[in-house]
Order: sequence, then C-alpha cells, then structure tokens
Amino acid sequence: MKREPVPDTAALDPAAKEAQFVHRVYAEIAQHFSETRHSGWPFVDGFLQRQAAGSVGLDIGCGNGKYLGANRAVHMIGVDYSRELVAICAERGFDCAVGDGLRLPVRAGAFDFAICIAVVHHYASEDRRVRALREALRAVRPGGALLVYAWAQEQQGRRRFDAATQDHLVPWETRAGAVHQRYYHLFRKGELERLLAQAGGCRVAESGYERDNWYVVATKTALP
Amino acid sequence: MRLITHNMLKCHVKNCSDPDKQFPLRFKGTAGAEEVKLEQIEAERNDEFLVRMLPRLEWGALAITAGELNIPLPDKVPSDPAADDGFLQALHTAILEMHVLEGTMFCNGCGHEYKITKGIPNMLLGEHEI
Repeated sequence: MKREPVPDTAALDPAAKEAQFVHRVYAEIAQHFSETRHSGWPFVDGFLQRQAAGSVGLDIGCGNGKYLGANRAVHMIGVDYSRELVAICAERGFDCAVGDGLRLPVRAGAFDFAICIAVVHHYASEDRRVRALREALRAVRPGGALLVYAWAQEQQGRRRFDAATQDHLVPWETRAGAVHQRYYHLFRKGELERLLAQAGGCRVAESGYERDNWYVVATKTALP
Repeated sequence: MRLITHNMLKCHVKNCSDPDKQFPLRFKGTAGAEEVKLEQIEAERNDEFLVRMLPRLEWGALAITAGELNIPLPDKVPSDPAADDGFLQALHTAILEMHVLEGTMFCNGCGHEYKITKGIPNMLLGEHEI
C-alpha cells in the first residue's frame, strides 16, 4: 500500500481543516463508511430504548442512520453535514436533513432528547466544540436529555495515539488502497463535562467510557 | 421530507432579519404548480403515536404548510382528538404519508432559500451565515 506523508494542517483555520479533513473525506468514503457501520453501541441503544414512547429525538451527525430506527416507539430525525450519508438515511426511509451542527436548522426545544455520537471530536477548535454542544442543547426541551460520545485520547484498543497532543489525523483506507486522513480532536477524561459546563444550561446526569469513547448524558436545565 | 420533519425546521441564518418569521419555512409555489413535487406513500396508521405527537407539533405552522401544499387538514385540533377518526386520518396523511420530493423552502423573514432534492432538505449555510 502506498503511504502518503501525513499532511501538515497547522496553517489551516478550524473551518478549513474541517472542510478538508472531515467533510471532504466523508463525501469520498460515505458508501464504504456506511457498510462498516451496522450495530449500535450498547449504551447508545440502551439510552434510545429508555426514551418514552411517542417522544421525538434528534440525531446530530446521524451518519448512515444506524440509530434512527433503533427504537420504533420514538420518532427520530437525523441531521448530518454529509449529503452522501443523508442520502443513505433517506433510502432507508428515515426522516433526515443535510445540516450543520454549529447551526442546527431546528426550532429551540422541539426535541425531547438528542444524541450526538462520535461527532464533536471532528470540530477543530475548542470554541467550535462548545458551540456544537450549545446548539445540541438548544434543540432539546428543558428536562430533556442529550447523549454525547467522543473518541478518547486514553483508548487502549486497536489504535494508540501520541499522548503529547490531542489533535490527530487518522487514516481511512479505501478498498482500492487510497488513504484519506480524517481530523480528530481526541477527548481526555472529564473534557466533555468541562465543555458542557462551558456550553451552559445543563447538568451532567451520567458519564462513562464505552468502545474507546467518553460519553456524557446531560440534562437540559434551562432555555438559552 | 415529511411534514413531521418540516414542522421542526426553522431558518437559522445568523442575524436573520426577522426572527419572528423564521418559522414555519414557506414553500415557493403550491402543489400543482411545478415548484413543489409531492408524493403520497401509504403508511400504517398508529393512533396512539398520532395523539402523542400532537403536543410536539406547532399546529398553527402545520396548518399553514398543509394549506400551502393543498393537503387537507383542520385549522384546529378537536377537543377529543383520540376519538375523532376523520381528524386522525387527516393528521396521519398530512404528517406521515405526504412526502415533498422536490421543492424550495424560504424564510419568511430574511428570504433565505433551502432546496429539497430527492426528498432531502439541504439546510447548509455558507460559513459567513453561521
């Protein structure tokens, strides 16, 4: 396999970094990525199963929609930046829209709950990560829950990361052997809680670690 | 895009000129005109689900949108919706069976347009609008 040198991203501003190393990559790999995303993570599935029947949920960064049909008693809407991935959701019969997590196209408090799984680690500055969490909370009604997952710096599984930096390019290899670099900000223990506190208007109800990710369930406490 | 989704969508342009008019997003043209392509896809009716959805819908907005698209829907929710078969059927058809396949939505405040292509609304904005 041909190894390209890892590109230098230092000169790019956060939006440009996300455009090149997140949005463009998912546009390229959408089909292959979707084929590798079948089963949900147990804690996410459990969270969805315990939502009240008839409640309405938003999946922010829904990818191929693997969580949109997890609980048939709730109504889910998916939003993702990738039109290629949203097209896969639509083919599967899910309600979805192409949209930006920094500026969600939904009315405030319209949702009983929201999930944002493996998404905030793709924002290339802390300011944008906080903004994304604040937007997710805006979509949820007071008393509703937001579940957030982000890749952990401390992961001990298949991949190991240099502990000196939290910002990494992670290769995605296509079947043809081409390599696409995806940008990740890996989260340290307690970081999601800290950013949610900065976002404001919520309290942490539950937190933990699953499948190389830190997760937090935050309860919305107030309207913005 | 079904109206159950449309009822949650709102213009989100930064500094939208008239925040009170960001919702509901309006449709250019009406059903029958070429701008909006609608399709009805039959779905199984679940009365319990429909009744539970009522408090989550903005009814005034839904009625405006249904009117624009020539989808029959009462202006008001009846006092006992669970017992009103005609109402439940109209609601079921309006929010769960009618799909907007092609069309353009616009904000009644700032005029920003959002296109629906192959049933998918594209709500992305330029970086300067975020």
